[in-house]
Amino acid sequence: MKRTVVFVVVAGALVLGGVAVWVGAQSATETEQVRYDRESRYYRVRVVDYLDEGRRCLHFSKSQGIQSSMILDDPIQLDLRYSRTMVAALALHAAPKDVLLVGLGGASIPRFMNKHWPDIRLDVVEIDADVVQVCQDWFELKGAPCLRIIVMDGRMYLKRSRKTYDVILLDAYAADRIPFHLATMEFVQLARSRLKPGGVVASNLWESSVNRFYYAELKTFQMVFPQTYLFRAGSSGNIVVFGALDPNPTPKAAWVARAKALAGDRDLKFSLPALVADEYEVLTDLRIAERPLTDDMAPVDTLRREHPKHFETAGTGK
Amino acid sequence: MRSGLLITVFLAGGSLMSLEMASFRLVQPEFGSDIIVWGSLISVFLGGLAVGAVLGGRLADRGPRLWRLGAILALAGAVTLTLPLYSDAVLEWMFPGEGAPLPAEWGDGGNSDQLVVYQPPDLRWPTLGVGTILFGLPALLLGTVTPYTARLFIHTLGKVGTGVGHLYGASTVGSILGTLGTAFYLIAWMGTRWLLASNGLLLVGLGLVLAVADFLSPRGEPAPDV
Repeated sequence: MKRTVVFVVVAGALVLGGVAVWVGAQSATETEQVRYDRESRYYRVRVVDYLDEGRRCLHFSKSQGIQSSMILDDPIQLDLRYSRTMVAALALHAAPKDVLLVGLGGASIPRFMNKHWPDIRLDVVEIDADVVQVCQDWFELKGAPCLRIIVMDGRMYLKRSRKTYDVILLDAYAADRIPFHLATMEFVQLARSRLKPGGVVASNLWESSVNRFYYAELKTFQMVFPQTYLFRAGSSGNIVVFGALDPNPTPKAAWVARAKALAGDRDLKFSLPALVADEYEVLTDLRIAERPLTDDMAPVDTLRREHPKHFETAGTGK
Repeated sequence: MRSGLLITVFLAGGSLMSLEMASFRLVQPEFGSDIIVWGSLISVFLGGLAVGAVLGGRLADRGPRLWRLGAILALAGAVTLTLPLYSDAVLEWMFPGEGAPLPAEWGDGGNSDQLVVYQPPDLRWPTLGVGTILFGLPALLLGTVTPYTARLFIHTLGKVGTGVGHLYGASTVGSILGTLGTAFYLIAWMGTRWLLASNGLLLVGLGLVLAVADFLSPRGEPAPDV
């Protein structure tokens, strides 16, 4: 008898608790509409519409970090600040014809490039076939003559393919971090070896706080490329590091002028020349007291937890 | 003597899991971070342990000697120590990356209306192959340790359960510490290659200690039949 009472009380509490959580979840999603939420082979992929903002976002795993964001009324526009900064790489190269993007995300850059520069050939390497499908279903990714998607690990593709590119954009994230084999010197050297003369590599680094990994990765780029640049993409915690094969530095004015030429009279919805002028920073001569990452020694997770202690601010670029 | 044997299985268990963690790091640059890769490598280690357990048990019944156990550990250590020397060559041989011809349907890009032009290569056989060649033998040798030690450790039939229990407990605690120590600290401190080399040195050293202990102990006293 006593047992039955205890059982009923416990069961009742559980049911009430469940109802409360359910009700809470309902009210929390009044302005959020989950369009897609499924486990892929690599992540939990979620597509969420934020109705009050008019945005559709792509999330991986439980991370609240936004992989990609699309304005529902204007899907072409680059919504995330860093994705605009990545496009500045096209202007660092004088006249890009072949571009590789590693990491599809929500297909912002493919949509944007196909609209504004449909004659630039764009290859995209994406490891997760489900992400490609999600982009086709929810992020307006459509086939185009100059676009092809390769479903493969980014490093595996670069090693196997002998195709060379004018610009390589690195944006491969496993939820909130770069897989270590896509951050090491061996990988950056591999990317460099797949550049045509005068080629450029740009890499998106996102961290919620400045940490030792940032500097180790900047150092890695410094060691691989004769010229490197660093753009801080607004306050989102993204920085974009550029490595250029051109042994001569590209002055700000030259980069801005190329950005003007690249933008032409297209309605990009933001000013690419102004972005370059705002964010331009030379990284080449910055002294970084961090070791570069290698395949053998890439303690990405450890470095991400540590604040930079022995970072030297002396010698900041022009 | 008996606590020495417990320490031996403890260290062997720790080293085994440290090697397993190192194996993930060693192959990720080539194979990526796919669940197929982890699954293959874990299976290779378990397979090595299974074969090793059978062989170790049989070997022990032929007359267990401490120095033989030491020799097995030293051999496992020697293999591990030399592993970084040929690991790249094995990876390249099993999974030729650079210069591998691209399928014709890839085209030049931009010629096809097909959006997705290629699916990833099958990783199952290459990862199982690389894992077996690189880590099969060390896992097998370390797998012999616990059953072999059981024969040295247990002297009375009535205490088989207690003895085996202690050995498995010590070995598993070692494995836990080997896993956590490697994941939390060692990979970041020494990198993959030094980690492999350190494990090799540890096992060679442990083997030598056992051999010396056998040499110093009174002769002509094999473990009694239970």
